[in-house]
Amino acid sequence: MSLFEKRLLRPEAAGLGAKLWRVSWLYVLLLCLLAGVGYLAQYSASGGSISPYAGPHVLRFGFALLLMLGVAMIDIRFIARMAWLGYAMGLVLLAAVLKFGNVGNGARRWLALGSFQWQPSEMMKIVLVLALAAWFRRASWERMGNPAFLVPPLLAVLLPVGLILKEPNLGTAVIVAAIGGVVFLGAGLRWWKVALLAGTLAVAAPIVYQHLHAYQKSRIMIFLHPSRDPLGAGYNIIQSKIALGSGGVWGKGFLQGTQGQLNFLPEKQTDFIFTILAEQFGLAGSYAVLGLLMLITFAGLVVALRCRHQFGRLVALGLTMNFFCYVFVNLAMVMGLIPVGGVPLPLVSHGGSAMLMVMIGCGILMSVHVHRDVEFDDAAEAA
Amino acid sequence: MSDLPDRAPPEPTAPARRFGAPAAGGIPRMETVRVTAPDLERRAAIARSHRRLTVGIIGFVVLYVAVAAKLTDATILQPMLPSKALIATNVPKLPPRQSAFAATPAALPMLGHTHRAPIIDRNGEILAISVPMATAYADPRQIADPKHAAEKLATVLPNLNVAAMTARLSSNLQFVYVARDITPEQEIRINDLGIPGVGFRETEVRRYPLGRVAAQVLGNVDRAGHGDMGIEAYFDKRLLSDPRPLRLSLDVRVQAVVRDVLAHAFHEFKPIGAVGIVMNVDTGEVLASVSLPDYNANNFANSTPAERFNRAVQGAYEPGSILKLETLSMALNKGIIHPWDEFDAIHPIHVGRFTITDYEGKHRWLYLPEVLVYSSNLGASHIALAVGGTDQRAWLRRVGMFSRLGIQLPEAGSPMFQPASQWGPATVMTVGFGEGITEPPMQIVRGAATIVNGGLQHPATLLAVPLGSEVPGTRVMKDSTSVVMRKMMRLVVADGTGMAANVPGYFVGGKTGTAEKIGANGYHLHVNVSAFICAFPMNAPKYAVYVMLDAPHGTKATGYFSTAGEVSAPAAGEIIARIAPMLGLLPATGAEAQAIDAQLAMALKPQPPPGVAPDVIPFQPMPPNAVGVAPASVPTSPSAYGIAPPLPPPPPNATAIAPPPPPPPPPPGAAGAGQRRADASRTAQTVALR
Repeated sequence: MSLFEKRLLRPEAAGLGAKLWRVSWLYVLLLCLLAGVGYLAQYSASGGSISPYAGPHVLRFGFALLLMLGVAMIDIRFIARMAWLGYAMGLVLLAAVLKFGNVGNGARRWLALGSFQWQPSEMMKIVLVLALAAWFRRASWERMGNPAFLVPPLLAVLLPVGLILKEPNLGTAVIVAAIGGVVFLGAGLRWWKVALLAGTLAVAAPIVYQHLHAYQKSRIMIFLHPSRDPLGAGYNIIQSKIALGSGGVWGKGFLQGTQGQLNFLPEKQTDFIFTILAEQFGLAGSYAVLGLLMLITFAGLVVALRCRHQFGRLVALGLTMNFFCYVFVNLAMVMGLIPVGGVPLPLVSHGGSAMLMVMIGCGILMSVHVHRDVEFDDAAEAA
Repeated sequence: MSDLPDRAPPEPTAPARRFGAPAAGGIPRMETVRVTAPDLERRAAIARSHRRLTVGIIGFVVLYVAVAAKLTDATILQPMLPSKALIATNVPKLPPRQSAFAATPAALPMLGHTHRAPIIDRNGEILAISVPMATAYADPRQIADPKHAAEKLATVLPNLNVAAMTARLSSNLQFVYVARDITPEQEIRINDLGIPGVGFRETEVRRYPLGRVAAQVLGNVDRAGHGDMGIEAYFDKRLLSDPRPLRLSLDVRVQAVVRDVLAHAFHEFKPIGAVGIVMNVDTGEVLASVSLPDYNANNFANSTPAERFNRAVQGAYEPGSILKLETLSMALNKGIIHPWDEFDAIHPIHVGRFTITDYEGKHRWLYLPEVLVYSSNLGASHIALAVGGTDQRAWLRRVGMFSRLGIQLPEAGSPMFQPASQWGPATVMTVGFGEGITEPPMQIVRGAATIVNGGLQHPATLLAVPLGSEVPGTRVMKDSTSVVMRKMMRLVVADGTGMAANVPGYFVGGKTGTAEKIGANGYHLHVNVSAFICAFPMNAPKYAVYVMLDAPHGTKATGYFSTAGEVSAPAAGEIIARIAPMLGLLPATGAEAQAIDAQLAMALKPQPPPGVAPDVIPFQPMPPNAVGVAPASVPTSPSAYGIAPPLPPPPPNATAIAPPPPPPPPPPGAAGAGQRRADASRTAQTVALR
């Protein structure tokens, strides 16, 4: 390729219109469908009413969609340059939340900006992906074999994980570590190192368990034996399982659920929203929602596959993993596969800040897609 | 994703095709493309990256399949269906509606579902009962229009401050109280308002229908539903685990009378506190326990610490002369004194810097009944010395005066007294007339009950003892001792300091006790703890009554005296006159009264029964330098009063019917003091003791 050719084909030369044309509108459509499912669920959780959940849900999604498209227009190279700055901000906010954050449910994890509350750990997931991708984007196969090269990114993962553990928020800490680990894997971490890490974790887990907070231990114990305390902390899981079971194959019909309507389900509009859908639309509806979530996940991986620069691939992989973590942890929690963790179902659960963060992640993913062919001018950066 | 609109340039592996390269069939492409080493490396990296992404895809697929499998399992294969029991626990419960509430025991089971059992008195009157209530709360984050919501709530809750509630509902909190302790009707009406974000919690409120009556005894229940004072605290587990009412020994009628009489005395004599106790002497059941000042039990939040203080069990007061009952009992029971014995009440006793004298002393030798009737400190001191410190301590320990008050209240207080090492002659004597030791009033009542009931000790109890399950009690003194004590106590009321407590036909017997209060500089001369203990009827005592006024002020009517005989005894008499009929005791009259009078009669100056020589010398003299020394003199021997020399055991034959041993010569320096003497001029008013 000649220099001329490169200049000619650089996407940013094409302007905003061309960039919008390059946005994967199918992906946007999938997101809108998911938000539509969320609207139905919130409408049902409100007892067949737009307020208090369904109306705000749509408004927020509209705003978040515009924000996502705006983020998608940002040049991915600019994002790469800003990655470490964002990461540093994330760390500062995590530290701030430990000092100034609001306490909710026994943990200090919310930061208030005016009337808007959000968890810096949500933002940390995104900026960590960006920072790691920025570190690994020029990593050759040989460099990936050099342990010294792996130490800084490892610290970059462990630092926020430690801060989040201190909040304390075990679930999010594990998720952040998992997202970081996936980026490591995508960057080409040797498999034997992965095996070594997994072995270390298996050994460390019992030791970590000793230092968990009482409520965390109780969640794990209740997860293992939910029926032991049917009206206590195991109540959520049992009620949500009942909701799943009472739906059957085709469900009870829209607005015909009992568990959700009769308030058996606590936090039904947030963490346990999936059970409302499962009860009313049955296994078929659940599969449909699950399929939609899968499509969105794989669309993210396709973005990674089609991207021509390593930074974009790693970012797409990491952000897809982030989205997947929300989905997997939430669904597994609802079905009693893993302990209850307070993770929302993206774009379906009630709650503005989580939706905003998910959509910003999707926006960056889209930016990767829009700028999938750009060349990183490493020489210019080095100079 | 493959169908995405895509105007991206073609794959980099074939750029030549687009930019004017010769068409296919020309020079083979292989020869025109130069593949550089970095290019190869880049392609290898992409291939590796794609392999990793593929692994990632497989991982995601596996996990999604796992979720789908679990979903299938939970939905179809092994669905968990709602059990009836689980649904039942979540259906909102409303208590059964009742038109009116009848406060009779029969109505108790109808009171709806509450967690805490009621407390009733011995006759079934309700003392404490839980009323089901609800607490309304809100999640402000879910309240769309706080002002509108507050206005709607105000239609149900008339006292609601709309502006304040609007502010609370507009906050960023997740939980605010809307209204505490609302009735089920209000709960339904608020629920009918249909405000999203407003929820309810079941609560219950403890009500004390009798208000101030027995407030401190019953205690109270905290916001979490646990007792933190009184019976509510002591029986917290019982009240929460057993729905049957807890039956107390209290009789609210007696309790109300005692409170009423005490309140009048309180008004008249302006003490800082007052105690009234009525106890069944045969069972130890407390029928009334009043402590003033008190508070409205339904308004616990506004009570003061002084009002919550239960003086009857928490307070520790010097019993004063009331403890002479114990001193005389222990000496009589031991057989070392007799009613016809005389005691020196002429010479003040100097012990160290103390001088023991008599209040309104007679300045002559006193017979034993006179010691009690005139409340002679000197006589009691001599008797206590005769008993000796070791036996005195053993007795006081036996009757419970050295232990924490045993009663079903967490506030039960403990006595304060000198340790054994400090229990010298001075302590022996002062404790002998009730100073230098403090006891909770309830303990004094229990001791007196034992003295009058024939010598059987029962623990004081606030629980009703059902008929037929009375326990016999522990014998701590001979019945004969109790008989003599009863006669002498009757003399106190008939002829002595307790005359104001006399109620015709009820044969009240008792003892006054006026202790000067201890301040920063020792005893206050005119600030008293004025207590009166009595029992009735003395021929067969049923109930003990105790009245105590803490620092009363004498009035013109009492000659500005504030001693027990002037302020406490009249109150005790009024209590007896009012409660005796309701307790089923009718006054004896006519021949029956005369017979009982004759049975209880005892001369103030009794003569020994025929055949008993009057000149028994039953007790040991004081240590020479402990008695009769001037206050300024310094004892030279540590055995003087710091540590009592071991007293020899009393002569084994020193009983009423024993032949008299020859009297030992009085030691030098102890002339007269502490000895009885044969009195030739003894009156002829001797009455047989048994």
